[in-house]
Amino acid sequence: MKREMHGARFGLAFRLLVAGLGGAASFGLGVGSVLAQAVIAEAEEPGVNTLEPPKAGWFFVRGPWGSGGSSIFDAASGRMLGMVSTSRDSDLAIDPAGRFYYVAETMWTKGNRGTRQDLVSVYDSRTLKLLAEIPTPGRLIIGGFNTNFVLSDDGRTAYDYNFDPASSVNVIDLAKRRFVRAIELPGCASLIPNPGVGFSALCADGTIATVAIRGAGHDITRSAEFFDAAADPIFSNVVYDRRRKQAVMLSYTGKVWTATMGAAPQVSAPFSIQEAGGMRSADTSPLDIAWYPGGMQPMALHRPSNTLWVLMHKGEYWSHKEGAEEIWGVDLAAKKVVRRLPVKGHPRNIEITQDDAAMIMVNGMDNNATIIDSRTGEVKHTIENAGGGLITVFEPMAGAAQ
Amino acid sequence: MVRFNPDAAGERLLRRFAGGTSRRGILSRLGAALVAAPVFPLLPVSRAEAAKPDRSPEAKTAFARTAQTSDDTKCNYWRYCAIDGSLCTCCGGGVHTCPAGSEPSPISWVGSCINPDDGKAYMIAYRDCCGKPACGQCGCDNTDRETQLYLPQLNNNVIWCFGTSSMEYHCSTAMMIGAA
Repeated sequence: MKREMHGARFGLAFRLLVAGLGGAASFGLGVGSVLAQAVIAEAEEPGVNTLEPPKAGWFFVRGPWGSGGSSIFDAASGRMLGMVSTSRDSDLAIDPAGRFYYVAETMWTKGNRGTRQDLVSVYDSRTLKLLAEIPTPGRLIIGGFNTNFVLSDDGRTAYDYNFDPASSVNVIDLAKRRFVRAIELPGCASLIPNPGVGFSALCADGTIATVAIRGAGHDITRSAEFFDAAADPIFSNVVYDRRRKQAVMLSYTGKVWTATMGAAPQVSAPFSIQEAGGMRSADTSPLDIAWYPGGMQPMALHRPSNTLWVLMHKGEYWSHKEGAEEIWGVDLAAKKVVRRLPVKGHPRNIEITQDDAAMIMVNGMDNNATIIDSRTGEVKHTIENAGGGLITVFEPMAGAAQ
Repeated sequence: MVRFNPDAAGERLLRRFAGGTSRRGILSRLGAALVAAPVFPLLPVSRAEAAKPDRSPEAKTAFARTAQTSDDTKCNYWRYCAIDGSLCTCCGGGVHTCPAGSEPSPISWVGSCINPDDGKAYMIAYRDCCGKPACGQCGCDNTDRETQLYLPQLNNNVIWCFGTSSMEYHCSTAMMIGAA
């Protein structure tokens, strides 16, 4: 048996040699140099690569709707490094310490039927091997949002949104790898970590609900109403900055709020993204053509510079899923649009690396991704079939070296 | 013009729901959602409509200005003003009928769409057909008054296959509920 395998390998080497000679003939190269390159002197053994822990310069890109994986791309090289198994309509969260990938997912014992199983799968970030499965009582099967499965800043707790069709949040102890309990949260979704408190969420009555977890109990409090959930909704894909403990929220008309997390989150006065760009603010009237934010994942926050990057298109109100014609960079401290980058392909998702390189990735319905230098607007890489879904980046723990 | 009556529309919706479903565990969960969320499910529709009683072209959305009433296999068919997914009319079903072998979801998200023939707004329930793989035909994503996940009954990304034997999404229908 062993001998036969060696025979097969030499056969393969011979075929490679022939192929190499054929290629050399077509390119008119000398035979001697080809022989030196093409001959495999030793029989090879199959191997498996490992990865480095997640880096601030990586993108995790979900495939088109229904796909089962998130491809990892290095922003600098544009090369694919690996893939995390993220089954259809699952949610990916990355351990702030970079040790694990967590996937909240749903599957059935017989593929599309049988017994439903909801769980959080835990993968080692170096080997991408499955380490554990944490059963949960359920989750919203949707995908495409970064606020349905969020981790506490210390990485010890996960909050997994459920809708069946009453709203609740499953609390999962990631250190002990077990489901703790479900907290009913009617009328709210879009979870935001709230360090030292628990978590917060956006609600249909235009408030932020805050769930303060105290041992086995909890208190739910509401902020004052600050947005109109029906007339000018805030995109569910809120972004959160661990270092500033701050959420950034964007509405369909282009209003931008920040909320500093705490027992009673402090919501800023909003500013208009159009006014920040030197235009009049957009409103909800039909036939009023303006620049509006749009897409499924319409904004990305570059945390080191506190710059928000927003997918913008010209159109009428209620066009909030339309792909972008430009990407606007907004300095959140100055409340000014500091850069407008034209973009092709009408992308609907955007993310940005959390390092000084500040590389943007956008993708869309065509399943292709583009990596753009946010400082110059230069397209660095175009990656076909990178994936058309939600993009995730790694936000290192505050103060952690990268 | 008769004003939109959310109570009556809600009663019709719930009576249809009650009449068309068996007693399952999901009912108690749905009941909890209905009781607990005061805005669930019709007030936002009412509010949006109350703010726009005017049906002039200037008051209509881009979708409403270009909608048609003759071809329900096209994304611009008037009832589809907030639909997201494959049209069941392209998958072997009808505008309110699921294709063979699939199962209608007992609940749905809703839209309020203007029929260009009479200029009136109607309440439309987008009921998913479930239990088969994605149809893939006639994909549409219309977003009139479509909101986000904290207002799920007006969000068109949610797969509404709750209470069906399988949660697999096949296609979406657009059922008339009544005048809005």
